[in-house]
Amino acid sequence: MNTHAGYIGRRALTTAGHFLNLLAFICNILRLIFHRFPTGRALLKKFTLEQIYFTAYQALYVIIPVALLIGSMLIVQIAKVSTQYDLGKIMVLLIVREIAPIVTALIVILRTATAVSIEIGYMQVFHEIEAIEMAGIDPLRIICLPRLVGITAAILCLFVIFNLVAVIGGYLTVWIFTYIPVKNLLGQIETAITFTDILAGTIKALLFGLTITVICLYHGFKANLKITGIPAQTSKVAVECFFSCLVIDVIISILFYL
Amino acid sequence: MQIIELIDYTLEPEGARNGLNDFSFSLSGGDGYAVETDSIDDAVLFLKAVVTWVSPQKGIYRFNGVNIDLDDYRNSLLCKRKIGYIASDAALISNRTVRDNLIFMRCYHEDSLLLTLDDTTAELCRKFDIADKLDRRPGELHPRDIKNAITIRELSKSPDVLVLERPEDFIDHTKFDLFKEAVTAMTRQGLPVVFYSSDRNFINTFSNKKARISKGRLTFLSS
Repeated sequence: MNTHAGYIGRRALTTAGHFLNLLAFICNILRLIFHRFPTGRALLKKFTLEQIYFTAYQALYVIIPVALLIGSMLIVQIAKVSTQYDLGKIMVLLIVREIAPIVTALIVILRTATAVSIEIGYMQVFHEIEAIEMAGIDPLRIICLPRLVGITAAILCLFVIFNLVAVIGGYLTVWIFTYIPVKNLLGQIETAITFTDILAGTIKALLFGLTITVICLYHGFKANLKITGIPAQTSKVAVECFFSCLVIDVIISILFYL
Repeated sequence: MQIIELIDYTLEPEGARNGLNDFSFSLSGGDGYAVETDSIDDAVLFLKAVVTWVSPQKGIYRFNGVNIDLDDYRNSLLCKRKIGYIASDAALISNRTVRDNLIFMRCYHEDSLLLTLDDTTAELCRKFDIADKLDRRPGELHPRDIKNAITIRELSKSPDVLVLERPEDFIDHTKFDLFKEAVTAMTRQGLPVVFYSSDRNFINTFSNKKARISKGRLTFLSS
Protein backbone atom coordinates (compact mmCIF):
# COMPACT_ATOMS: atom_id res chain seq x y z
CA MET A 1 0.00 0.00 0.00
CA ASN A 2 2.79 2.34 1.02
CA THR A 3 4.67 1.54 -2.17
CA HIS A 4 1.64 2.34 -4.32
CA ALA A 5 0.98 5.56 -2.44
CA GLY A 6 4.65 6.48 -2.75
CA TYR A 7 4.61 5.75 -6.48
CA ILE A 8 1.51 7.87 -7.01
CA GLY A 9 3.02 10.67 -4.92
CA ARG A 10 6.30 10.59 -6.82
CA ARG A 11 4.49 10.55 -10.17
CA ALA A 12 2.33 13.47 -9.08
CA LEU A 13 5.40 15.46 -8.00
CA THR A 14 7.25 14.66 -11.23
CA THR A 15 4.24 15.65 -13.34
CA ALA A 16 3.73 18.87 -11.38
CA GLY A 17 7.45 19.67 -11.68
CA HIS A 18 7.36 19.02 -15.42
CA PHE A 19 4.27 21.19 -15.82
CA LEU A 20 5.92 24.03 -13.89
CA ASN A 21 9.09 23.70 -15.97
CA LEU A 22 7.02 24.00 -19.16
CA LEU A 23 5.23 27.01 -17.73
CA ALA A 24 8.53 28.70 -16.79
CA PHE A 25 9.89 27.91 -20.25
CA ILE A 26 6.88 29.43 -22.02
CA CYS A 27 7.04 32.50 -19.76
CA ASN A 28 10.70 32.98 -20.67
CA ILE A 29 9.89 32.82 -24.37
CA LEU A 30 6.78 34.99 -24.17
CA ARG A 31 8.71 37.61 -22.20
CA LEU A 32 10.96 38.02 -25.24
CA ILE A 33 7.97 39.05 -27.39
CA PHE A 34 7.50 42.16 -25.28
CA HIS A 35 11.20 42.98 -25.11
CA ARG A 36 12.23 45.50 -27.74
CA PHE A 37 15.69 44.34 -28.79
CA PRO A 38 17.65 46.74 -30.98
CA THR A 39 19.17 43.95 -33.11
CA GLY A 40 18.22 40.70 -34.75
CA ARG A 41 14.76 41.67 -35.96
CA ALA A 42 15.47 40.90 -39.60
CA LEU A 43 16.76 37.41 -38.82
CA LEU A 44 13.88 36.80 -36.44
CA LYS A 45 11.35 37.76 -39.09
CA LYS A 46 13.08 35.52 -41.64
CA PHE A 47 13.09 32.50 -39.29
CA THR A 48 9.43 33.08 -38.35
CA LEU A 49 8.38 33.18 -42.00
CA GLU A 50 10.43 30.04 -42.68
CA GLN A 51 8.64 28.29 -39.82
CA ILE A 52 5.23 29.34 -41.16
CA TYR A 53 6.27 28.08 -44.60
CA PHE A 54 7.36 24.68 -43.20
CA THR A 55 4.41 24.25 -40.87
CA ALA A 56 1.52 25.82 -42.80
CA TYR A 57 2.32 25.93 -46.51
CA GLN A 58 4.07 22.57 -46.74
CA ALA A 59 1.29 20.96 -44.67
CA LEU A 60 -1.39 22.03 -47.16
CA TYR A 61 -0.69 18.92 -49.25
CA VAL A 62 -1.65 16.83 -46.24
CA ILE A 63 -4.36 18.89 -44.61
CA ILE A 64 -6.46 19.56 -47.73
CA PRO A 65 -6.99 15.89 -48.69
CA VAL A 66 -7.50 14.92 -45.02
CA ALA A 67 -10.09 17.69 -44.54
CA LEU A 68 -11.82 16.76 -47.78
CA LEU A 69 -12.00 13.08 -46.85
CA ILE A 70 -13.22 13.76 -43.31
CA GLY A 71 -15.76 16.35 -44.53
CA SER A 72 -17.21 14.08 -47.23
CA MET A 73 -17.25 11.04 -44.96
CA LEU A 74 -19.07 12.92 -42.20
CA ILE A 75 -21.63 14.44 -44.57
CA VAL A 76 -22.35 11.02 -46.07
CA GLN A 77 -22.70 9.35 -42.67
CA ILE A 78 -24.66 12.15 -40.99
CA ALA A 79 -26.99 12.63 -43.97
CA LYS A 80 -28.02 8.98 -43.64
CA VAL A 81 -28.85 9.12 -39.94
CA SER A 82 -30.13 12.66 -39.43
CA THR A 83 -32.85 14.77 -40.94
CA GLN A 84 -31.98 17.48 -43.46
CA TYR A 85 -32.67 20.10 -40.85
CA ASP A 86 -30.00 18.81 -38.43
CA LEU A 87 -27.25 18.26 -40.98
CA GLY A 88 -25.73 21.78 -40.87
CA LYS A 89 -25.91 21.95 -37.08
CA ILE A 90 -24.26 18.57 -36.63
CA MET A 91 -21.54 19.51 -39.12
CA VAL A 92 -20.74 22.64 -37.10
CA LEU A 93 -20.85 20.65 -33.89
CA LEU A 94 -18.47 17.98 -35.13
CA ILE A 95 -16.15 19.64 -37.62
CA VAL A 96 -15.79 23.24 -36.50
CA ARG A 97 -15.93 22.62 -32.77
CA GLU A 98 -14.06 19.35 -32.35
CA ILE A 99 -12.59 17.58 -35.35
CA ALA A 100 -10.90 20.52 -37.08
CA PRO A 101 -8.80 21.69 -34.10
CA ILE A 102 -7.78 18.18 -33.06
CA VAL A 103 -6.94 16.89 -36.56
CA THR A 104 -5.04 20.09 -37.35
CA ALA A 105 -3.08 19.71 -34.12
CA LEU A 106 -2.43 16.04 -34.89
CA ILE A 107 -1.05 16.85 -38.34
CA VAL A 108 1.18 19.59 -36.92
CA ILE A 109 2.40 17.23 -34.20
CA LEU A 110 3.22 14.51 -36.74
CA ARG A 111 4.89 16.83 -39.24
CA THR A 112 6.36 19.68 -37.24
CA ALA A 113 6.61 18.93 -33.53
CA THR A 114 8.61 15.76 -34.10
CA ALA A 115 10.83 17.52 -36.65
CA VAL A 116 11.49 20.50 -34.38
CA SER A 117 12.20 18.24 -31.43
CA ILE A 118 14.74 16.24 -33.46
CA GLU A 119 16.27 19.41 -34.91
CA ILE A 120 16.77 21.05 -31.52
CA GLY A 121 17.97 17.80 -29.94
CA TYR A 122 20.50 17.43 -32.75
CA MET A 123 21.62 21.03 -32.33
CA GLN A 124 22.02 20.47 -28.61
CA VAL A 125 23.99 17.26 -29.00
CA PHE A 126 26.33 18.64 -31.68
CA HIS A 127 27.04 21.91 -29.83
CA GLU A 128 25.20 24.05 -32.39
CA ILE A 129 23.32 25.88 -29.64
CA GLU A 130 26.73 26.73 -28.17
CA ALA A 131 27.81 28.02 -31.59
CA ILE A 132 24.82 30.39 -31.53
CA GLU A 133 25.75 31.57 -28.04
CA MET A 134 29.35 32.10 -29.15
CA ALA A 135 27.97 34.61 -31.65
CA GLY A 136 26.52 36.52 -28.70
CA ILE A 137 22.98 35.51 -29.60
CA ASP A 138 20.38 34.24 -27.16
CA PRO A 139 19.20 30.83 -28.47
CA LEU A 140 15.85 31.36 -26.78
CA ARG A 141 15.30 34.43 -28.97
CA ILE A 142 16.65 33.14 -32.27
CA ILE A 143 15.46 29.52 -32.04
CA CYS A 144 12.44 29.43 -29.76
CA LEU A 145 10.65 32.70 -30.47
CA PRO A 146 10.35 32.28 -34.27
CA ARG A 147 9.14 28.72 -33.79
CA LEU A 148 6.58 29.70 -31.18
CA VAL A 149 5.14 32.50 -33.29
CA GLY A 150 5.47 30.56 -36.56
CA ILE A 151 3.88 27.31 -35.39
CA THR A 152 1.06 29.09 -33.55
CA ALA A 153 0.25 31.26 -36.56
CA ALA A 154 0.48 28.22 -38.83
CA ILE A 155 -1.96 26.20 -36.69
CA LEU A 156 -4.43 29.07 -36.77
CA CYS A 157 -4.22 29.27 -40.58
CA LEU A 158 -4.45 25.49 -40.98
CA PHE A 159 -7.47 25.40 -38.67
CA VAL A 160 -9.32 27.91 -40.87
CA ILE A 161 -8.31 26.05 -44.04
CA PHE A 162 -9.36 22.69 -42.57
CA ASN A 163 -12.81 24.04 -41.71
CA LEU A 164 -13.37 25.59 -45.14
CA VAL A 165 -12.14 22.54 -47.04
CA ALA A 166 -14.01 20.06 -44.85
CA VAL A 167 -17.33 21.90 -45.12
CA ILE A 168 -17.27 23.34 -48.64
CA GLY A 169 -15.13 20.60 -50.19
CA GLY A 170 -17.10 17.88 -48.43
CA TYR A 171 -20.36 19.42 -49.62
CA LEU A 172 -19.13 19.63 -53.22
CA THR A 173 -17.73 16.09 -53.18
CA VAL A 174 -21.00 14.64 -51.90
CA TRP A 175 -23.05 16.79 -54.29
CA ILE A 176 -20.98 15.77 -57.32
CA PHE A 177 -20.44 12.08 -56.61
CA THR A 178 -23.57 10.91 -54.70
CA TYR A 179 -27.35 11.25 -54.77
CA ILE A 180 -27.54 12.12 -51.07
CA PRO A 181 -29.75 15.20 -50.66
CA VAL A 182 -27.60 17.94 -49.14
CA LYS A 183 -29.59 20.93 -50.31
CA ASN A 184 -29.15 24.10 -48.25
CA LEU A 185 -26.30 22.55 -46.22
CA LEU A 186 -24.15 25.67 -46.47
CA GLY A 187 -27.10 27.85 -45.50
CA GLN A 188 -27.78 25.62 -42.47
CA ILE A 189 -24.13 25.81 -41.43
CA GLU A 190 -24.20 29.58 -41.79
CA THR A 191 -27.22 29.69 -39.49
CA ALA A 192 -25.80 27.19 -37.02
CA ILE A 193 -22.33 28.69 -36.60
CA THR A 194 -22.05 31.27 -33.84
CA PHE A 195 -19.43 33.75 -32.67
CA THR A 196 -18.70 31.40 -29.75
CA ASP A 197 -17.73 28.65 -32.19
CA ILE A 198 -15.28 30.93 -33.94
CA LEU A 199 -13.87 32.25 -30.67
CA ALA A 200 -13.54 28.79 -29.11
CA GLY A 201 -11.87 27.46 -32.28
CA THR A 202 -9.42 30.37 -32.35
CA ILE A 203 -8.53 29.95 -28.68
CA LYS A 204 -8.04 26.23 -29.16
CA ALA A 205 -5.77 26.82 -32.16
CA LEU A 206 -3.70 29.40 -30.27
CA LEU A 207 -3.34 27.22 -27.18
CA PHE A 208 -2.51 24.15 -29.29
CA GLY A 209 0.18 26.16 -31.05
CA LEU A 210 1.75 27.34 -27.80
CA THR A 211 1.53 23.92 -26.18
CA ILE A 212 2.94 21.97 -29.12
CA THR A 213 5.83 24.38 -29.61
CA VAL A 214 6.79 24.59 -25.98
CA ILE A 215 6.69 20.83 -25.47
CA CYS A 216 8.79 20.06 -28.54
CA LEU A 217 11.34 22.80 -27.80
CA TYR A 218 11.58 21.86 -24.13
CA HIS A 219 12.27 18.20 -24.88
CA GLY A 220 14.65 19.16 -27.68
CA PHE A 221 16.73 21.26 -25.30
CA LYS A 222 16.68 18.44 -22.77
CA ALA A 223 18.41 16.04 -25.20
CA ASN A 224 21.41 16.49 -22.90
CA LEU A 225 24.33 15.62 -25.14
CA LYS A 226 23.16 12.09 -25.91
CA ILE A 227 22.24 11.29 -29.50
CA THR A 228 20.56 8.07 -28.34
CA GLY A 229 18.17 10.18 -26.26
CA ILE A 230 16.69 11.90 -29.31
CA PRO A 231 14.39 9.08 -30.59
CA ALA A 232 12.97 8.52 -27.11
CA GLN A 233 12.45 12.28 -26.65
CA THR A 234 10.71 12.52 -30.02
CA SER A 235 8.29 9.75 -29.18
CA LYS A 236 7.62 11.40 -25.81
CA VAL A 237 7.02 14.74 -27.56
CA ALA A 238 4.42 13.28 -29.94
CA VAL A 239 2.48 11.55 -27.16
CA GLU A 240 2.70 14.48 -24.73
CA CYS A 241 1.68 17.04 -27.37
CA PHE A 242 -1.34 15.01 -28.44
CA PHE A 243 -2.45 14.28 -24.91
CA SER A 244 -2.04 17.94 -23.88
CA CYS A 245 -4.05 19.09 -26.90
CA LEU A 246 -6.85 16.67 -26.01
CA VAL A 247 -6.94 17.96 -22.44
CA ILE A 248 -6.98 21.59 -23.64
CA ASP A 249 -9.70 20.72 -26.15
CA VAL A 250 -11.89 19.23 -23.44
CA ILE A 251 -11.31 22.16 -21.07
CA ILE A 252 -12.15 24.77 -23.72
CA SER A 253 -15.23 22.83 -24.83
CA ILE A 254 -16.45 22.61 -21.24
CA LEU A 255 -15.81 26.32 -20.65
CA PHE A 256 -17.59 27.43 -23.80
CA TYR A 257 -20.41 24.92 -24.28
CA LEU A 258 -21.47 23.64 -20.89
CA MET B 1 43.75 46.78 -18.65
CA GLN B 2 42.82 43.15 -18.02
CA ILE B 3 40.45 41.75 -20.61
CA ILE B 4 39.55 38.58 -18.73
CA GLU B 5 39.97 37.94 -15.03
CA LEU B 6 39.06 34.79 -13.15
CA ILE B 7 39.34 35.64 -9.46
CA ASP B 8 39.45 33.01 -6.68
CA TYR B 9 37.96 30.52 -9.08
CA THR B 10 37.10 26.93 -8.22
CA LEU B 11 35.88 24.59 -10.92
CA GLU B 12 34.08 21.42 -10.04
CA PRO B 13 35.62 18.22 -11.44
CA GLU B 14 33.66 16.42 -14.15
CA GLY B 15 34.30 12.86 -15.28
CA ALA B 16 38.03 12.18 -15.41
CA ARG B 17 38.89 15.78 -14.61
CA ASN B 18 40.48 16.84 -11.35
CA GLY B 19 38.76 20.19 -11.40
CA LEU B 20 40.65 23.35 -10.51
CA ASN B 21 40.93 24.70 -7.02
CA ASP B 22 41.09 28.28 -5.91
CA PHE B 23 43.06 29.92 -8.70
CA SER B 24 43.20 33.36 -10.21
CA PHE B 25 44.01 34.13 -13.81
CA SER B 26 44.12 37.32 -15.78
CA LEU B 27 44.65 38.05 -19.43
CA SER B 28 45.70 41.37 -20.93
CA GLY B 29 46.31 42.57 -24.47
CA GLY B 30 49.44 41.02 -25.96
CA ASP B 31 49.41 37.99 -23.64
CA GLY B 32 50.03 34.59 -25.16
CA TYR B 33 49.23 31.94 -22.56
CA ALA B 34 50.23 28.36 -23.21
CA VAL B 35 48.57 25.87 -20.89
CA GLU B 36 50.55 22.79 -19.90
CA THR B 37 49.00 19.86 -18.13
CA ASP B 38 49.15 16.11 -17.47
CA SER B 39 45.42 15.84 -18.06
CA ILE B 40 43.89 17.10 -21.32
CA ASP B 41 40.49 17.17 -19.59
CA ASP B 42 41.74 19.72 -17.07
CA ALA B 43 43.14 21.93 -19.82
CA VAL B 44 39.82 21.74 -21.67
CA LEU B 45 37.99 22.57 -18.43
CA PHE B 46 40.21 25.61 -17.92
CA LEU B 47 39.70 26.83 -21.50
CA LYS B 48 35.93 26.37 -21.14
CA ALA B 49 36.03 28.43 -17.96
CA VAL B 50 37.86 31.22 -19.83
CA VAL B 51 35.16 31.11 -22.55
CA THR B 52 32.43 31.08 -19.83
CA TRP B 53 31.14 27.66 -20.85
CA VAL B 54 31.72 26.41 -17.32
CA SER B 55 30.37 28.22 -14.29
CA PRO B 56 32.56 28.16 -11.21
CA GLN B 57 31.66 26.63 -7.88
CA LYS B 58 32.95 29.89 -6.47
CA GLY B 59 34.79 32.87 -7.84
CA ILE B 60 34.34 35.99 -9.92
CA TYR B 61 34.50 36.26 -13.69
CA ARG B 62 35.37 39.71 -14.95
CA PHE B 63 35.32 40.78 -18.60
CA ASN B 64 36.80 44.14 -19.55
CA GLY B 65 36.58 45.14 -15.88
CA VAL B 66 32.91 44.24 -15.47
CA ASN B 67 31.80 41.44 -13.14
CA ILE B 68 29.72 38.87 -15.02
CA ASP B 69 27.14 36.79 -13.18
CA LEU B 70 27.43 33.42 -14.88
CA ASP B 71 24.36 31.98 -13.14
CA ASP B 72 22.30 33.44 -15.98
CA TYR B 73 23.67 32.37 -19.37
CA ARG B 74 22.40 35.58 -20.98
CA ASN B 75 24.97 37.62 -19.06
CA SER B 76 27.80 35.71 -20.69
CA LEU B 77 26.62 36.30 -24.28
CA LEU B 78 28.47 39.60 -24.59
CA CYS B 79 31.74 37.95 -23.51
CA LYS B 80 31.23 34.95 -25.78
CA ARG B 81 30.68 37.25 -28.74
CA LYS B 82 34.10 38.78 -28.11
CA ILE B 83 35.95 35.47 -27.77
CA GLY B 84 37.15 33.44 -30.73
CA TYR B 85 36.92 29.80 -29.70
CA ILE B 86 38.52 27.14 -31.86
CA ALA B 87 38.10 23.80 -30.14
CA SER B 88 37.01 20.23 -30.71
CA ASP B 89 33.43 21.00 -29.65
CA ALA B 90 33.01 24.08 -31.86
CA ALA B 91 30.36 23.55 -34.53
CA LEU B 92 28.58 25.06 -37.50
CA ILE B 93 24.79 25.39 -37.57
CA SER B 94 23.86 22.43 -39.72
CA ASN B 95 20.61 23.67 -41.27
CA ARG B 96 22.27 26.79 -42.70
CA THR B 97 24.79 27.08 -45.51
CA VAL B 98 28.44 27.79 -44.79
CA ARG B 99 27.92 31.36 -46.07
CA ASP B 100 24.97 31.84 -43.69
CA ASN B 101 27.12 30.52 -40.85
CA LEU B 102 29.90 32.95 -41.65
CA ILE B 103 27.64 36.01 -41.76
CA PHE B 104 25.15 34.85 -39.12
CA MET B 105 26.60 36.90 -36.29
CA ARG B 106 26.86 40.06 -38.39
CA CYS B 107 23.33 39.62 -39.79
CA TYR B 108 22.00 39.45 -36.25
CA HIS B 109 23.98 42.29 -34.72
CA GLU B 110 23.77 44.57 -37.75
CA ASP B 111 20.11 43.62 -38.20
CA SER B 112 20.31 43.03 -41.93
CA LEU B 113 19.73 40.14 -44.31
CA LEU B 114 21.52 41.80 -47.19
CA LEU B 115 25.06 41.31 -45.95
CA THR B 116 27.78 39.64 -47.97
CA LEU B 117 31.11 38.23 -46.83
CA ASP B 118 33.57 40.97 -46.02
CA ASP B 119 36.92 41.07 -47.83
CA THR B 120 38.91 39.48 -44.98
CA THR B 121 36.49 36.56 -44.65
CA ALA B 122 36.31 36.06 -48.41
CA GLU B 123 40.11 36.03 -48.57
CA LEU B 124 40.30 33.48 -45.75
CA CYS B 125 37.70 31.31 -47.52
CA ARG B 126 39.80 31.39 -50.66
CA LYS B 127 42.98 30.54 -48.74
CA PHE B 128 41.29 27.70 -46.84
CA ASP B 129 39.75 26.32 -50.07
CA ILE B 130 36.11 26.66 -49.11
CA ALA B 131 35.24 29.56 -51.41
CA ASP B 132 33.44 27.20 -53.80
CA LYS B 133 31.58 25.44 -50.99
CA LEU B 134 29.96 28.45 -49.38
CA ASP B 135 26.46 27.57 -50.55
CA ARG B 136 26.57 24.04 -49.22
CA ARG B 137 25.35 22.93 -45.84
CA PRO B 138 27.78 21.45 -43.31
CA GLY B 139 26.33 17.96 -43.80
CA GLU B 140 27.51 18.01 -47.43
CA LEU B 141 31.08 18.91 -46.51
CA HIS B 142 34.15 16.95 -45.49
CA PRO B 143 34.90 17.35 -41.75
CA ARG B 144 38.13 19.11 -42.76
CA ASP B 145 36.14 21.81 -44.58
CA ILE B 146 33.77 22.18 -41.63
CA LYS B 147 36.74 22.79 -39.31
CA ASN B 148 38.19 25.28 -41.78
CA ALA B 149 34.86 27.12 -41.88
CA ILE B 150 34.72 27.21 -38.06
CA THR B 151 38.28 28.57 -37.98
CA ILE B 152 37.38 31.30 -40.49
CA ARG B 153 34.20 32.18 -38.58
CA GLU B 154 36.07 32.58 -35.31
CA LEU B 155 38.98 34.51 -36.79
CA SER B 156 36.72 36.85 -38.74
CA LYS B 157 34.51 37.78 -35.79
CA SER B 158 37.19 40.32 -34.70
CA PRO B 159 37.60 38.76 -31.26
CA ASP B 160 39.11 40.47 -28.22
CA VAL B 161 40.56 37.13 -27.12
CA LEU B 162 41.41 33.93 -28.98
CA VAL B 163 41.07 30.58 -27.20
CA LEU B 164 42.50 27.53 -28.95
CA GLU B 165 42.29 23.88 -27.99
CA ARG B 166 44.91 21.73 -29.72
CA PRO B 167 44.88 23.78 -32.95
CA GLU B 168 47.31 21.35 -34.56
CA ASP B 169 44.64 18.62 -34.34
CA PHE B 170 41.72 20.83 -35.28
CA ILE B 171 43.14 22.50 -38.35
CA ASP B 172 44.08 20.59 -41.47
CA HIS B 173 47.89 20.28 -41.48
CA THR B 174 48.11 21.62 -45.04
CA LYS B 175 46.46 24.84 -43.84
CA PHE B 176 48.14 25.05 -40.46
CA ASP B 177 50.80 27.49 -41.66
CA LEU B 178 48.05 29.70 -43.10
CA PHE B 179 46.30 29.60 -39.76
CA LYS B 180 49.51 30.54 -37.94
CA GLU B 181 49.99 33.45 -40.34
CA ALA B 182 46.49 34.71 -39.61
CA VAL B 183 46.96 34.36 -35.84
CA THR B 184 50.39 36.02 -36.01
CA ALA B 185 48.86 39.01 -37.80
CA MET B 186 46.21 39.27 -35.07
CA THR B 187 48.62 38.85 -32.14
CA ARG B 188 50.87 41.55 -33.60
CA GLN B 189 47.95 43.92 -33.10
CA GLY B 190 47.81 42.93 -29.43
CA LEU B 191 45.21 40.14 -29.51
CA PRO B 192 45.68 37.93 -26.43
CA VAL B 193 45.71 34.17 -26.98
CA VAL B 194 45.12 31.32 -24.54
CA PHE B 195 45.80 27.87 -25.89
CA TYR B 196 46.48 24.28 -25.10
CA SER B 197 48.78 22.67 -27.64
CA SER B 198 51.29 19.87 -27.85
CA ASP B 199 53.02 21.44 -30.84
CA ARG B 200 56.34 22.82 -29.47
CA ASN B 201 56.79 25.10 -32.46
CA PHE B 202 53.30 26.59 -31.97
CA ILE B 203 53.90 27.06 -28.24
CA ASN B 204 57.24 28.79 -28.85
CA THR B 205 55.75 31.05 -31.51
CA PHE B 206 52.65 32.22 -29.68
CA SER B 207 53.35 32.01 -25.95
CA ASN B 208 54.98 34.63 -23.79
CA LYS B 209 53.48 33.23 -20.59
CA LYS B 210 52.89 29.69 -19.40
CA ALA B 211 50.46 28.18 -16.95
CA ARG B 212 50.63 24.63 -15.65
CA ILE B 213 47.69 22.64 -14.39
CA SER B 214 48.58 19.75 -12.16
CA LYS B 215 46.42 17.85 -9.67
CA GLY B 216 43.78 20.54 -9.58
CA ARG B 217 46.17 23.47 -9.14
CA LEU B 218 47.05 26.19 -11.62
CA THR B 219 50.56 27.58 -11.36
CA PHE B 220 52.29 30.14 -13.53
CA LEU B 221 55.67 29.33 -15.00
CA SER B 222 58.24 31.83 -16.07
CA SER B 223 58.62 31.68 -19.85
